[in-house]
Amino acid sequence: MIEIVRELIEREAGLLDDRHYEEWLAMFTPDCLYWVPVSPDMAGPREGPSHFRDDRQIMAVRTHRLANPRAFGAEPSPRTVHVISGIRIEREDADEVVAVSSQIMLEYRNRDRFEDDQRLFGGRVRHRFRRTGGGLLIAEKRVDLINANAAFNAMAAPL
Amino acid sequence: MATRALDPRSLVREGEVHRSVYTDPDIFTLEMERVFGRAWLYLAHDSELPEPGDYVVRHMGTQAVILTRGKDGAIETIFNRCTHRGATLCAFDKGSAPHGHQCPYHGWTFNADGTVRFVSHPTNYSGVLDPADYAIRRVRTESYRGFVFGNLAGDDGPALLDFLGHMKSTIDDLVDRSPTGQIEVGKYQLRHYYRANWKMTFENLNDTIHPGFAHSASVVSAKAVVADVGADKVVPTVGMMLANGKPIQFFQDIDMVTTPGGHSYIGGHMGAGYTPDTADEYTRGLIAHHGEEKAREVLSLDRHLMLLYPSSFWHARYQTIRIMRPVRHDLTEMIGFTFRLVGAPEETHVNAIEYCTGANSAASPVIADDLEIYERCLLGNQYGPREWIPMSRGIREDRARDNALTRSPATSEAFIRNQFAAWSDYMGRAT
Repeated sequence: MIEIVRELIEREAGLLDDRHYEEWLAMFTPDCLYWVPVSPDMAGPREGPSHFRDDRQIMAVRTHRLANPRAFGAEPSPRTVHVISGIRIEREDADEVVAVSSQIMLEYRNRDRFEDDQRLFGGRVRHRFRRTGGGLLIAEKRVDLINANAAFNAMAAPL
Repeated sequence: MATRALDPRSLVREGEVHRSVYTDPDIFTLEMERVFGRAWLYLAHDSELPEPGDYVVRHMGTQAVILTRGKDGAIETIFNRCTHRGATLCAFDKGSAPHGHQCPYHGWTFNADGTVRFVSHPTNYSGVLDPADYAIRRVRTESYRGFVFGNLAGDDGPALLDFLGHMKSTIDDLVDRSPTGQIEVGKYQLRHYYRANWKMTFENLNDTIHPGFAHSASVVSAKAVVADVGADKVVPTVGMMLANGKPIQFFQDIDMVTTPGGHSYIGGHMGAGYTPDTADEYTRGLIAHHGEEKAREVLSLDRHLMLLYPSSFWHARYQTIRIMRPVRHDLTEMIGFTFRLVGAPEETHVNAIEYCTGANSAASPVIADDLEIYERCLLGNQYGPREWIPMSRGIREDRARDNALTRSPATSEAFIRNQFAAWSDYMGRAT
């Protein structure tokens, strides 16, 4: 199972890095949650505001927008690379598999601002996979950034 | 630029403003002294400090302050700075200090009101230094319906209610929406920052012309996805994006209200509702608390953001307050707070949380576009021969005017002119 999960987590990050958003969306269940909370203490997205608090519909709008040349906040588009380490399975049962990993995302947008154009995001990522007829789909992706409580500048690329 | 020698009032003309107000660090320094040093600044809500000794750290301009609930229940505001060597007292945003704030350097300890509680090794100071002379500066603090404001000008400033004027009705609107009369701050805050001047946010949030352009990409994407999933399945966050796509005439027909002091609001235009069950339960609770007539009045009030110049943004319908923190002339932080209407169905708070996330997250497609624009304006205003920025849109279109307020179409830049009238007044007074 760890090998299956590793392949899925690396594939998910790779699709984001390659900006293959339709395939990325297809890795999630229809009722999924893509969540970047403002605190690791938050038990659910109804407890307070979040950086990302996306259902499938918001994910679709967000990624559709990234492909639009008039999305100023993503002009030019950010380039990203994810580095993933320490994948382990936290829980596994008949319906679900939960895996955690440590991830760093390096992001670059050329805005003529030298080193300010490159940023690092990092933290603990938790994938909750659901077993379906078509294999494992992501029911929830939670990203606990180490600086979750900090103020951020515009974030266009999903983490 | 030698702006120090200039009268800052000369930077504001009828219908235009000089670009240096966004780009000059000296202007920023003067703003901290004359604008943020004089206006009432919203700092915290009563519910953030439930017990004696509870404290939060906030900023008044660039000055960090500690708000502490004292033993007598009153909230005191003092500078977050030891009077001995100047070290920061509280390193955390919030906490509890029932035995006073102790400096980590030599252990000097201060009461909630800034008076010295303890000086280490006092025999050295015998006949040399009187601890009573070393109280931390206490900031004038007043509150209205649980919202705590501070004023660095002390007794030279106006009373809080005079500063708020007509705008207190938006604070009433927020509190009156609670079916128990009580509201409670949400536990988590959401922050973003941008590399541009603080005034950009004030001039953008009720600008109704920019969404059709700056946010067009989110409107296009929201419409495309809605066509896929069906209009009856739109989630509130996507609804917010769609609201930016309304025709300009829609906003022309809405009122903008501006008041002395640089404050403003426009009429509501997002029109989000609750689910029928929640709406019924919530309305019943509100009627039980206020009576039928007052409850209908509360529910019928529909305002978009109130801009309380120069430091906060209030959305009563979505129970969200944002505090703007100016850090440098080219660096600004925005801090979003949600409020729970005590006794109302949980969905009402979730609704506020969704609004706050869409309106204040750096990852919100709408905000990401705004931040990009703010930063481009800062870059563009640093060079070149064109020094004056027009703010004349709708200058001949005011609809009504009296001592308390002026009504204009919501497409007008009347709110920006009104902000600079207040700015000019604050900045023009040397003492």
